[in-house]
Amino acid sequence: MARREQARAEAAFLRGATGVDGAATDADVRDEAEVEQGKAREQLLRGRTWLGRECLTWLLWRSEAGDPLARVEGAEVVALFTGKVLLRGVAGDVTEVAARGAAAPYAAQVKRALASGLLVHQARLRLTHGERVFEVTLDAEHLDVRAAKLPELLTEAEDDRAAERLDLCEQLGRMVDLLVGAFLEVRASKGWARSTVPALRAWMADQG
Amino acid sequence: MVRAPMPVLRGSITFARFRSEPGKRPQDLRRWLVRGLDRGAFEPLDPARGDDDRSAGFVALEDPDSTDFSSGVLEAGRALFAFRVDRIQVKGTAVRAELERWVAAFPAEHRRAPTRGEKAGARDEIRHRLRSRTPPTTRVFDVSWALDGGELLVWAASRKAVDEIAAAIEAAFEVKLAPCSVGAQAIRAEIAEDALAPTAALVGMTREEVSRGEA
Repeated sequence: MARREQARAEAAFLRGATGVDGAATDADVRDEAEVEQGKAREQLLRGRTWLGRECLTWLLWRSEAGDPLARVEGAEVVALFTGKVLLRGVAGDVTEVAARGAAAPYAAQVKRALASGLLVHQARLRLTHGERVFEVTLDAEHLDVRAAKLPELLTEAEDDRAAERLDLCEQLGRMVDLLVGAFLEVRASKGWARSTVPALRAWMADQG
Repeated sequence: MVRAPMPVLRGSITFARFRSEPGKRPQDLRRWLVRGLDRGAFEPLDPARGDDDRSAGFVALEDPDSTDFSSGVLEAGRALFAFRVDRIQVKGTAVRAELERWVAAFPAEHRRAPTRGEKAGARDEIRHRLRSRTPPTTRVFDVSWALDGGELLVWAASRKAVDEIAAAIEAAFEVKLAPCSVGAQAIRAEIAEDALAPTAALVGMTREEVSRGEA
């Protein structure tokens, strides 16, 4: 071994970076699947993301019937999942599934994935409030509003349009909060474990 | 500086939401707002002076070159402003190319190869020279804040930018901003911690794993 290489190896040993056999002491010996699952678990834990995923999954289930889910400013809110839905989970070999298609969120394949332990992590929703229709992509971790579409603005003047646009954005936020509030009310109740979760599981299992 | 249409007023609608904790409402809202924005106002980078490669702070919504907040900041109970981030980034490839040219030319002048110390000095000098010639890249993010309802929207898609802007607002206005995630709303609703654990039957884990905190 050349002198320089020997010195380098000694320095690494003294730093504690390598053992007496010359192998790295902090090498990640986990296999790829373990690393992947570790990442998935970390994502689930960060900022109580599981609550966001449970909320979006509950919303998917509740929205299938097309019934109003909340009431905001005198009008009912109806939610419908449209387009792409992203599912994530921590157990099993699959930690992420993306489904795309007009009715993909309610498809049997998605329900099958949900039944296997994945939950909705990101979804595109159409929220109908009275005669107004909003569209928004929500993620389970932060519930940030992404690529939202607002109803047609009614005002003409530039300043008024800007104010109306901001009003609608804030209204969209309030609607999302109300849906979350409705979920949390159920989630914190005794009925969650006793009746809601079994009903949710039965819906996932019903893939007919 | 010419900027793209302000997202707060037109274009794509992507924002992160926060709720500002209701504190003591200032008597003069406009003055309080201007004072806060002044406190965290943007200061341009000066490559000739100082070694800072990054500068960030509040600017006027309609003109990111302006830190004059005396007008247009408060519209119908809503604070409207922007957060500007300037960054000077000297490309490593450009430094390396210049350094290689310098190393190649060195023996002709000194009849020997440069020492390691001389190379390090040349690298610093090249980086400094390139830095003074590199214009900063600028990013501007809009902020709208409904002061009555306490709803604050940060018009940015990048979580890093959102977190930096939220921290800057908290520091400048001495307010607490709470996120609007489901977890944060559960805390605000004072739901007991025990009731918030992951639902084993849904997350694909056993009850034991959940109760051991293995989620």
